Amino acid sequence: MMKQFSYRHEKEAELMGSMEAASKNACAMSEEELFSFAEFNAADVERTGYSNYSYWGSTFRAFLKNKAAVALLVLLGLLLLFTFIQPYLPGQYDPNIIVNDANGMQYRNVPPGDMFILGTNSIGQDLWARIWAGTRTSLFIGLSVAVAEALIGITVGVIWGYVRKADFILTEVYNIIDNIPNTIILILVSYILKPGVKTLIFAMCLTGWIQMARFIRNQILIIRDRDYNVASRCLGTPTWRIMVRNLLPYLVSVIMLRMALTIPAAIGNEVFITYIGLGLPVDIPSLGNLINEGRALITSPALRYQLVYPTIILSFVTISFYIIGNAFSDAADPKNHV
Amino acid sequence: MLKYLGKRIGRSVLTLVIILTIVFCLLRLMPIEGYFPNFEKMTPQQIQVGLQEMGLTDPLPVQIARFFKDLLKGDLGTSRIYRANVPVTEVLSDKVPVSIKLGVLSMIVSLCAGLPMGALMARYKFRFFDKLGTLFIVCIQAIPAAVYYLYIQLYGTQILNVGLLFDIKNPKYWVLPVLSMSLNNIAFYGMWLRRYMVDESNKDYVKLAKAKGVSEGGVMFRHIFRNAFVPLAQYIPTAFLNTVIGSIYIESLYSIPGMGGLLVTVIKKHDNTMVQGIVLLYACVGVLGLLLGDLLMVLLDPRISLGKKEGDR
Amino acid sequence: MSDKNIPDKMLTVEDLEIKFDLRGKTLNAVRGISLDLYKGEILAIVGESGSGKSVFTKSFMGLLDQNGRITGGKVMYYGADDGKPVELTALKKEKEWYKIRGHEVAMIMQDPMTSLNPLKTIGEQIMEAVRLHQKLSRAQAKEKTLKYLEDVGIPHPERRFNQYPHEFSGGMRQRVVIAIAIACAPQILICDEPTTALDVTIQAQILELLKALRHKYKLSIILITHDLGVVANIADRVAVMYAGDIIEIGTSEDIFYDPRHPYTWALLSSLPQVGVKGSDLFSIPGTPPNLFTEIKGDAFAPRNSRALKIDFLETPPYFQVSPTHKAKTWLLDPRAPKVDPPPVVEKIRNGGLI
Repeated sequence: MMKQFSYRHEKEAELMGSMEAASKNACAMSEEELFSFAEFNAADVERTGYSNYSYWGSTFRAFLKNKAAVALLVLLGLLLLFTFIQPYLPGQYDPNIIVNDANGMQYRNVPPGDMFILGTNSIGQDLWARIWAGTRTSLFIGLSVAVAEALIGITVGVIWGYVRKADFILTEVYNIIDNIPNTIILILVSYILKPGVKTLIFAMCLTGWIQMARFIRNQILIIRDRDYNVASRCLGTPTWRIMVRNLLPYLVSVIMLRMALTIPAAIGNEVFITYIGLGLPVDIPSLGNLINEGRALITSPALRYQLVYPTIILSFVTISFYIIGNAFSDAADPKNHV
Repeated sequence: MLKYLGKRIGRSVLTLVIILTIVFCLLRLMPIEGYFPNFEKMTPQQIQVGLQEMGLTDPLPVQIARFFKDLLKGDLGTSRIYRANVPVTEVLSDKVPVSIKLGVLSMIVSLCAGLPMGALMARYKFRFFDKLGTLFIVCIQAIPAAVYYLYIQLYGTQILNVGLLFDIKNPKYWVLPVLSMSLNNIAFYGMWLRRYMVDESNKDYVKLAKAKGVSEGGVMFRHIFRNAFVPLAQYIPTAFLNTVIGSIYIESLYSIPGMGGLLVTVIKKHDNTMVQGIVLLYACVGVLGLLLGDLLMVLLDPRISLGKKEGDR
Repeated sequence: MSDKNIPDKMLTVEDLEIKFDLRGKTLNAVRGISLDLYKGEILAIVGESGSGKSVFTKSFMGLLDQNGRITGGKVMYYGADDGKPVELTALKKEKEWYKIRGHEVAMIMQDPMTSLNPLKTIGEQIMEAVRLHQKLSRAQAKEKTLKYLEDVGIPHPERRFNQYPHEFSGGMRQRVVIAIAIACAPQILICDEPTTALDVTIQAQILELLKALRHKYKLSIILITHDLGVVANIADRVAVMYAGDIIEIGTSEDIFYDPRHPYTWALLSSLPQVGVKGSDLFSIPGTPPNLFTEIKGDAFAPRNSRALKIDFLETPPYFQVSPTHKAKTWLLDPRAPKVDPPPVVEKIRNGGLI
C-alpha cells in the first residue's frame, strides 16, 4: 500500500507543480477574479493512481544499493573464475603430484616462498594447487546440493501446496524426516555408501529438499488464499499468470536465500564428514581434506599455514554466499521495495 | 488438554517406531566386515556362519521384530570390534552422562548469553549493540562450525594454558568445549529472540500497554519479551539436541569420553552394532526433543489447549 | 494565561504541526490544528483515512512513531490532579509521559482482535492498569477489576476474569479494551475508530456503552471515525478533518444541518443513508492530496468542482458561522459568490438522517 502511495504522490507532485505555475501567471488577478470559479477538470483529478512498478527492476536496484554485497559478489565471481583458469596458468603443479628435489627427496612441509606460493604439505604436494583444486571440489558439491535441493524441493513443494490429496502423505513424510537430526542421516548414508563426491551430494540432498518443499508449500498455501489472489481468480486471470506475477516474487526471495545458505552449509558438512573419516579420499582434494590435514599439524606453529590458508578461502566463500544470499533475499522481498 | 497431550505423545511414539524401522533397515546395508573383528582372516564359510549366528541372514521383518523385542528389554546388541563382546548399552552407560553434562552446561550458557543478547538487540534496534550482535550472528552462521571450533581449540588452549586433550576432573578443561558448543545456540537464540521481539513490539497490544501507562521496561519485559519467548521456547529442546549432535565433533576434537566422540571412533573402526546403537539413540533424541518443544508450548501458550494453533508461526 | 479562567476546558491545541520523516522525505501529517476539548463532552473527529486523525490524537499521549515529531504549536492539558496545566508538547522524556498515559489520557484502539495481549488473562490485563494508576492491594484491585468488567457489560465477570482473549468474541474484546481504559481512571478517553472492526449490531452497543460510561466516570471523549453515521448519534461536537487540518468544526447540529465547507458537503452527500434508490451513490472524485508537498490554498480545491480561483492560491482562515460553528472556506468570505449547499443538506434537515 505504501508503495502505491508514493508513486501516486510523485505523479501528484507533478500535477501540483503545473498548477502552481499557472497560478503564478495569474498573480495579478483582481479580487473579483479571485472569487470567481476555477475550471474543473474531472480527468485531471483522477489522474493520480498511476504506477510504473517493475518487480525485477526494483529488486535489482535494491540489491545494487547494498555495496558490501555487491563487492562480495564481484570478488566471489573473480574467485570462481580463478579456480577454473588456475590449472591452465603457467608454472602450476598438479595437486596430487608429490614434488621431489634433485636428489629424489620429497619437498616436505616447505614453508610458503618463491618455489611454492603457499608451501607444501607433509608429503610434498603443492598447497597452492591443492587449495584451488579443493575449492573447485567444495564449490561443486555446494552448488550441486543447492541446485538439486531447489529443483526437488520446488517441484515437490508446488505439488504439496496445490494437490490437496498429496498434502496428507507429504506432511507425514515431513514429520518423520524432520524428527531425525540431519547430521545423523548424513553420517548414516556416508557410512553405508562408498566415500566419494556423489555420495556426499546424495547424502546432503536426502534431507535438505524437504525443508525447501515445506517452505514452498506453506508460502503457496498462505499466498494462494490471500484476498488479492482470490480477487484475481474471480476476474478470470489464468493460474499461470497468478503464479508468475503474484506468487513467484514472494517465493524468489525465499528460494534464493535457502540456496545461498545451502552452499556454506554443504561446504561445512563436507569438512565435518571428512573429519569423522567418512569424507573424500585424499586424492580428491577438497577444503575438508585440506583442513583436516592442517588440523593434524596444529601442535607445531611453524606448519600452521597448512590450516590457515584453506580456512581463509573457505571462510571467504561461505561468508560471501551468506551475505549475498541475505542481501538478495532482502532486495527480492516486495515489502522492501520503496 | 489431556486429549491433545495424549494425541501428541502417541504421535511421537508412532513416529519413533517408523524412524527406528527405517534406520534399522538402512543399517542392514552396512558393510559386513563391520561385524567381525578379524574379517580379513576369515573364510567365506566362517563369515556365513557368523552372520547366521547373529541372525543377519533372517528375513528383514523377522530381524525387525527381534530388534524391537530386544529394544523393549533394553538390549541394543553387542559390540564386536570396539570392545569385543561387551553389550552396547554397557559401553554407552559410561559415556552418556558425560555428554548430557556437557549439553546441559552448554544450554545454560547459551540461554544466559543468547536471550539477553537478543533482548538488547531488539531494545537498541539499528544502534551499535544491534550491529555488533548482527556481526557476531553472521560470523557464527556463515563460517562452518567445523572451522571455528578448530581455531577456538588452537588459540583457546594457549590462552587458558591448558592441554589439547580433555581432563574430565579439571573444570578449566570444560571451558572451551562448552563455549564452542554454545556459540551456535547463542547466535540462534539471539537472532530469533530479536526478530520475534521486533515483531511483537509492532503489535497493537503493545501500543495499548504503552497507552495504559506501563513503563518502557515493563512493556519490554512483561509483554514483548514474554510473548516473543513463547515461539522461541518451542525450539529450545531442538536446539539442545543440536548441541548434543554438535558434540560429535567437539567431543572427538577434545577427546572427551562422551557419546559423540565414541560415534566417531566406532565409525573409524567400522563397528556396526555400535554405530547402530548410537545412531538409533540420536534418532530417539530427535523425536524426544520435538515432543518436549510442543509440550513446553502447551504450558506457555493458552491458545494451544483449544487445539487451535493461532500462535504458531 | 486567560485559559485558567475557563475551567471547563480539558485540553487546548494551538497551531499544532506534526511531521514525519519517510524515506528521506517529510510528510506534513498535521498542519496547524487548533482545537479545544471541553469537560464531559464527546468530540468526534471525522475524516478519510490518512487525513491525520490518529496521528493528531496520538500526540496527546506521546505515542507518535519514532520518525514523527511535533514541529510547531502546543497542546495544553488542564485536568491534572493538582490543577496545574501541563504543556504536553513540552514533555520530552518517556518518564514524564508515564504520568499522562492512562492516568490522564487513555486510548481505545480500532481492532479489538489485536489490541489485547493473547498470552495474558483479561483479568491480568485490566488489573495491570488498575494497579498502575490506583494504589490498591491485589485483592482490592481484583474486586475493582470485576466491577469494571460488570460496568462494560461483560456477564459472569468472576468466570471471565481468568479467561484469555481468544475465548472472547470481537465485541466482548472491545468491551475488555474499554474496561482497561476505564481502569486507568482517565480524564480523557480517545477512541480511535472503536467500532470499525465490529459488526453493525455490535457497533451500536459499543457506542451506547461509551455514552453511559461518559456520565458514570465523567469522561471527555474524543471519538475518531471516518463514518459520519456513527457520529450523528453520539457526538456533542464534530470536527471535520481533511489533509491534516480541521476544516470545519461545530456542534452536531451545525455540521449536519448547516454545513459550510464543500468537503463536509461532499462527505454528507456520500453517506449511503441519503442515497436515492436507483441512482449512483455520490463519491468524491480523486484522492486526498499529497502530504509530502507543501499545500497551497484550500487542500480540497483540486477535488472540488466549484472551487474558486483563490482556493488554489491562499489558505482560507476560519470564518465564524455562529459562536459554536466555524469553517475554513473562502465561500464564507463576503466577496465570494453565493454557492448553495447540495440537496443532501436539505434532505437531512427534513429528517433524512438523524
